[in-house]
Formats: sequence, C-alpha cells, structure tokens
Amino acid sequence: MKSDDLLTEAEKTWCPGCGNFGIMNAFRGAVRALEGRGVPREMIVMCAGIGQHAKIFDYVDLSGFYSLHGRSMATAQGIKLGNPDLKVVDFVGDGDAMGEGIAHMIFAAKRNADITVVMHNNGIYALTTGQRAPTTAKGVKGPSTPHGNTEEPLNPIALMLEAGATFVARGYAGRIGELTELLVSAIEHEGFSFVEVMQPCVTFNNTYERYNERTGEAGGPLDFEAALAMSRRTDPLPLGVFYRVTRETHGRSVAPGRNPARDHPTRERRIAAVARLVGG
Amino acid sequence: MNPEVFTFLVGGRAGQGVKKAGEVASRLFARLGRHVFQMDDYQSLIRGGHNFSVVSTAVREVTSHSMRADLVVALDGRSLDLHRPHLADGGVIVCDSREPVDGAVAVPLGEEAGAYSRPELRAGVGAVACLCAAIGVDADELEAIVRAEYPDAENNSAYARAIHGAAVGRIGGTFSLARGDRERSLLTGNQAIALGAAAAGLDFYAAYPMTPSSTILHFLAQHDEHLGITVVHPESEIAVANMAVGAAAAGARAMVGTSGGGFALMEEALSLAGMAEVPLLCVLSSRPGPSTGVPTYTEQADLEFALHQGHGDFLRIVASPGTVEEAYSLAAEMLALVWRYQAVGTLLTEKHLSESLMTVELDPASAAWAEPVAGEGAGYLRYRQTEDGVSPLAFFPSTSPIKWNSYEHDEAGITTEDAGTIAAMHDKRDRKLATLVAALKGARTVNRFGSDGPTVVTYGSTTMSVLEALRAGGLTATVVQPVYLRPWPVWELGDLAGREVVVVEQSSTGQFARLLSEKTRAVPRHVIRRYDGRPFDPPELAGDLDAAFSDLGREVGR
Repeated sequence: MKSDDLLTEAEKTWCPGCGNFGIMNAFRGAVRALEGRGVPREMIVMCAGIGQHAKIFDYVDLSGFYSLHGRSMATAQGIKLGNPDLKVVDFVGDGDAMGEGIAHMIFAAKRNADITVVMHNNGIYALTTGQRAPTTAKGVKGPSTPHGNTEEPLNPIALMLEAGATFVARGYAGRIGELTELLVSAIEHEGFSFVEVMQPCVTFNNTYERYNERTGEAGGPLDFEAALAMSRRTDPLPLGVFYRVTRETHGRSVAPGRNPARDHPTRERRIAAVARLVGG
Repeated sequence: MNPEVFTFLVGGRAGQGVKKAGEVASRLFARLGRHVFQMDDYQSLIRGGHNFSVVSTAVREVTSHSMRADLVVALDGRSLDLHRPHLADGGVIVCDSREPVDGAVAVPLGEEAGAYSRPELRAGVGAVACLCAAIGVDADELEAIVRAEYPDAENNSAYARAIHGAAVGRIGGTFSLARGDRERSLLTGNQAIALGAAAAGLDFYAAYPMTPSSTILHFLAQHDEHLGITVVHPESEIAVANMAVGAAAAGARAMVGTSGGGFALMEEALSLAGMAEVPLLCVLSSRPGPSTGVPTYTEQADLEFALHQGHGDFLRIVASPGTVEEAYSLAAEMLALVWRYQAVGTLLTEKHLSESLMTVELDPASAAWAEPVAGEGAGYLRYRQTEDGVSPLAFFPSTSPIKWNSYEHDEAGITTEDAGTIAAMHDKRDRKLATLVAALKGARTVNRFGSDGPTVVTYGSTTMSVLEALRAGGLTATVVQPVYLRPWPVWELGDLAGREVVVVEQSSTGQFARLLSEKTRAVPRHVIRRYDGRPFDPPELAGDLDAAFSDLGREVGR
C-alpha cells in the first residue's frame, strides 16, 4: 500500500534538528504541489549520491536509484536518456558534487542535461565525521585538517553558471516554504536545474543562527553577468533564483524524439535494420 | 602464379591512404567470391610515421593475414626497406620511383601524382592501380572501382589509369586469382560486436574514445537513427559506466566499450551494477599494457583483470570471441545473458579482432534477444527473494516504487545493516551463478576444431592465428577454445585434466596458461607467447607449433 505521506517505514537516522529534514519536507511538499499541477508522483524519480544527504532516498517513498558517491549525476543523466518522460531529481552533497563528482556536475550543466540537482550544502563531510569539504572556508579545522583547511572554498553557484546551467537557485533548509517553491520551479524547468540548499549540520557545522539572521534576496532571474555578480555576495547570503534561461536539452539534441524505455524495438524490426548493415 | 593464399601489403606514411587501399583491395577480393582477412598495422599518430595494411585472400577459408606478401606496394622509402623481408618466394615489390631500383619494380607513383592537386592523397589510389595491374584487372574495371571508392573521381580515375598503364607492362597479370564460390560480407570485429548487440535489442551505447574500442562508438553513432540506438560520448569512462547503469535501470539495454585504462575507471560502476543487479555489458578491447602501453597494437594481457573486475562478490560473466562471426553472436548472447541474470558481462577481445576486417557469413536473425524476467504491480519488490536468485524486473514509472540501491538493501531496495538481511541478500545474488551455469551447460561455451593430433588450447583472436597457422603449416591438431572464461566451463573441459597441451596466447607472463592449469589441471608443456604488440604471423607460428608438437611427441613417447 502506498503511504500518502510519501515516507517509507525506514528509521530516520539524521541527528535531531538536521537541515536534511527541512530539505526532505520541502521535497515532499514539492512532489504534492507537482501532483496538483498534473505531474503524477510516479513520474518523479530520485537519485542520490552517498553521504548524510543521500538518506533521503531511503526515507521518501518514490522510485529511484541510490547511486555512488560523486556519481549520481551520471546515473541521473542515464535514467533521463533511458526514459526522457521522467522527471529526475538528483540529491547530492557538497562533498559528493563539488569533490568526487565535480566533472559530472560541470558536464551535466554544459550539455544542459534535463535533470534537477539538489545540492545539500552543509560545508563539511558529515557522514565520515566532519572532514573539510570543497566548500569549507579556509582555516577551518577538522579531523583531516587539524591545523586548519589550507584551501579556498569553491563557489558552486558561480561554477554552475559558468558551466552552462540553465536554472540556478539557492535555498535554505530552514525556510521550507521558499525552498518548496524553488524545488517546484527547478523540477518544472526543462534543462539542467541546480539548487544549492544551505543545510545546517547540528553536529559538525551548525549554521542555523547565521542563515536565520544574515540572508538576502537574489532577486532573480537576473541576466548572466548580474547573476554571476550576485553569486559572489556572501553576507548577507542571497537566496532565491539567480538565473533562468531556455536552451535545447541534451536529450533532445542527442536523441531527438527517442524514448528507449517506451519505444524498445520489436525483434523483427531490429533484425531487419541490422541485416541492412550486414549486407552480403 | 596462383598461390593458395594471396597476400597484398601496402605500406606508407599516415595520411597516404594506406588503410583505405587495403579496404578497397579487400572488397575487390570479396567480390571475387574469395575469403579475405585484412590486418592494419598503424601507429598512434595522424600524419607521418609508418603504417601498413596487409590483406590475405584465398578461395578456402582464411582466418588471418600472413606476413609473407606476394605483392608489396611501398609508398615510401621506409616501407621499401621494412617490407623487403616480407616478400614471399616469387613475390613482387613495387616502389615509388622513376629510376630503376634494385630488386624492386619502380613505378613513378609520386611523380605522376604531381600532375594533380594534393598529390599526397593519391598514393593509396596508386597502390590499388598496381594491385589491379598485377592481378589482371583491366583499366576500365579499375576506373569503376576508383569511382565507387574515392572522392575527386575525375582526377583519381585519371591518375589510376596512368599508374595502371605504367605498371601493367612490368607486372601485368603476374598473379591469377581464382574466383571463389560466393560474395561474402566484410566486417571488422568491432562492427560485428556493435551489430550483434544491436540485433539483441541494444538501446543505449556510451563510450569515451579509446583505441581499439573507438570504432564501436563511431559505427553506432553513425547508424544511431537507422538502428534506433541512443549513443553518447560523455566526459570520462566513469561517466560512461554510470550513465549506462542509469539507462539500464530505466529499461534501456545498455552497453559500454573501452580498453584497459578506461575499464579500470569503470570498475567502481561495474561493482555498483553487481550490487544493484543492473544488467550491464562492457566491451573490453585490449591493447598492449600496462598503462597507456602501445595504443594501436594488440595483446591479451587484460585477461586476469577482466576476470576479476570490480570489488566484492557478484556475478560476473566474461567471454571472448574467436572470430568476427563469433563476435556477432557472442555480443548478442552476452547482452541476453546480462539481462536474463541481471549480471555484469565483459566481452573481452583484442585489437587484432576489433580492428581486423574479415569476410563473414552470418544470419542476422540467429542472434539472441535480450529480455528480462519481468514483474510488476502492487507490492513490487526490486530485490524479491526467489528460488533462482533472479528478482523480476519492472521499470519506472511505477505506482509501487522501484528502488535500486548501491548499499546492501532489503527486498524493497531500502538500505540495511541487518545481519540476517545482509547474508540473505548475498545468498540471493549468489544463487544466480548456479542458475546461469545450468543454462550455460546447454549452450556453446567451448569451441573445438579437429579431433586428431596434439591439443592446442587458445582463446580470443589468437584462435584465428592458430587455425590459420595449422593450415599454413599443413599441421594436424585439436584446437580447444574456451569462449566463456567466467564462469569457466569445467563441464566441457574435464578431458584436459592431466593432459599435456600447447598453449598459444599474447601475454608475456602466460595469463591464459595459468588460468587453464588452475581450472582444468591441464599441463601447458609449451606456452607459445607473443607480446611485441603484433599478432602472430601464421607461417612463423606454424614453425613454433610444429616444434612444440615434435617435442610433445617425444615427451609422450618417453
């Protein structure tokens, strides 16, 4: 029996107060909102990387693929090419997407793959006990950097804009209503949509106070240069849509009109096509 | 002259149309109803260097080129020096010169080409003209061939006629090639793999360019609309394998292709496919390694790697085709097997099969068809416990959620750390091996050629070299070629236990001989190895086999 709360019976093992609860609740709200707008929930397929963020896969009662650390962007693109009718929402961590799998992020944006990537940004590796992430500020101490992080952090919004993402937004796990709206817009967007979600980690990097007090409005969609300039502001941290534009999607350009899952050929038709190429 | 096997060798710099000249010759021989085998030896560069194409043809079956050439056309000085030793008794070597050259037939290929624009692009046409003159194909027929095969038809056909005229007085009709019984199709191993997979229902192919697998990507990309296959070239082999996993989970029959280095990058995703039980077929076309190695040459040193791909316990199927025809049927069969058993399959081959061009006779409709055990409906469980270990597959969209998982999981696909569930899910996946083996027992997993004489065990493209060597040397032997390498077909190979055999392979340490002795307790008394990047040359291999057979005979008699 399908539970109407969109939750499985899996035990939730996030810390009490974890920002991931906010993201999960916003996503559940977004699924219901999309249902109200004519998108059946079974058409929404989840992907997840590996990390605390990824447990959302076990908790939300939707189909999908619990992939590898850093690779779920590739898995998600494969699912979309395999069945372009689906809405594919990929949940990734900042370590996942800005570290191990950064090439997949950049290329998914570059080719305008028609998937939505929701990046839970808690600024650290939480599941592996708080090491520094690619998004961690310089100087921050962690188990792998006891003398302080020696590297500058990446700016995911600027990176995704430069790479060619056609929908770029930032939300905050502590503002579920706004985040729900951002997720609905991102999932409805045709093309590569990227939503960075600031996610407080109550155990290793508690940022609730900062984001509750010092956030502003991105005020987008902006033009490209203005979006890029906005992406460089950090205090107050801009939230909302930065950029939105329409461009031909990867699937439509590489395999126009083809849906392998729906239109799998009959054996007869395929053998005839092969026979013409074999010749003789 | 009418040699049983006629061999044409054309050599020159990259960019002179050497390979194209070989292909034109292959098609000409095939139209004569003859069997053809073309091997291209080329370097990892685009211009300059030294390339050659060697085409052997006979009225009887021919499964390898020979390095004893009856006609050599040397398009540059280096080719003349390098290929003189390859000339067969009574053979002719043509070189590019206006002046007479000692021990060669001088034809002014370059000077004549100077009358046309871009003369360097004409050289290959000149080689075809020399071939036609030597085998008694007249100028009109040559012109028709050139017009069908080359661009710039006016200039190329005029040039071809001029070269034909210059050559015919010197070498005209030196060779007479008998017509064969019927015209056969010409395919490379990579084309056969692509077509075999397509015939089995392939929907999705992803690859990152890597020699010698790249021509699968090129071929399928060229024919994507005709076949109805989605073909992508993403940022890396890591993306390739993970995209294929996603596409397969969505229901698309997916395949990837690469060589050793790229396969190493795919490992993580192959292990993922093992855990999540995603049907996935990978073509691994080997070149000399380790590491970057020698990109455009051949070797069989990825066998142990292929057998042990991916971390953890999961069902792996590894098989290697012995001929281009078998590449077609095996690619289809492997795609069908990975879908039937939700397994990871590796089609292991080598540059020598991937990129060699060969006449084939195949019935396209003989290919297997990939079909999963299907399940759906309320209460669907992606990883349902079943007696044979195979959980029925359903695809998105589904009102009953379908959850694929890289973590250990319960039947519903939800992550678990429960001891009993972990063991039970291992058991479920492990049961698929017995199910698969039961099915393979009814399939062709080992090829045997001949039934007399000493036993030669080999696999992959080296099978073609061994069979041609036996014909070239007039030798009698029983050739055993395991097609499936994992699961190893013990049920077919029991007779090898304790038997002294000759092993032929292209690995410096004898990987196949080790596998054979470990799995069958056969005694590889002689392991004939070649590991200089070049495939075996049948006449030379015949000598090595003959010596090994004599020695084996002595030891057996002792």
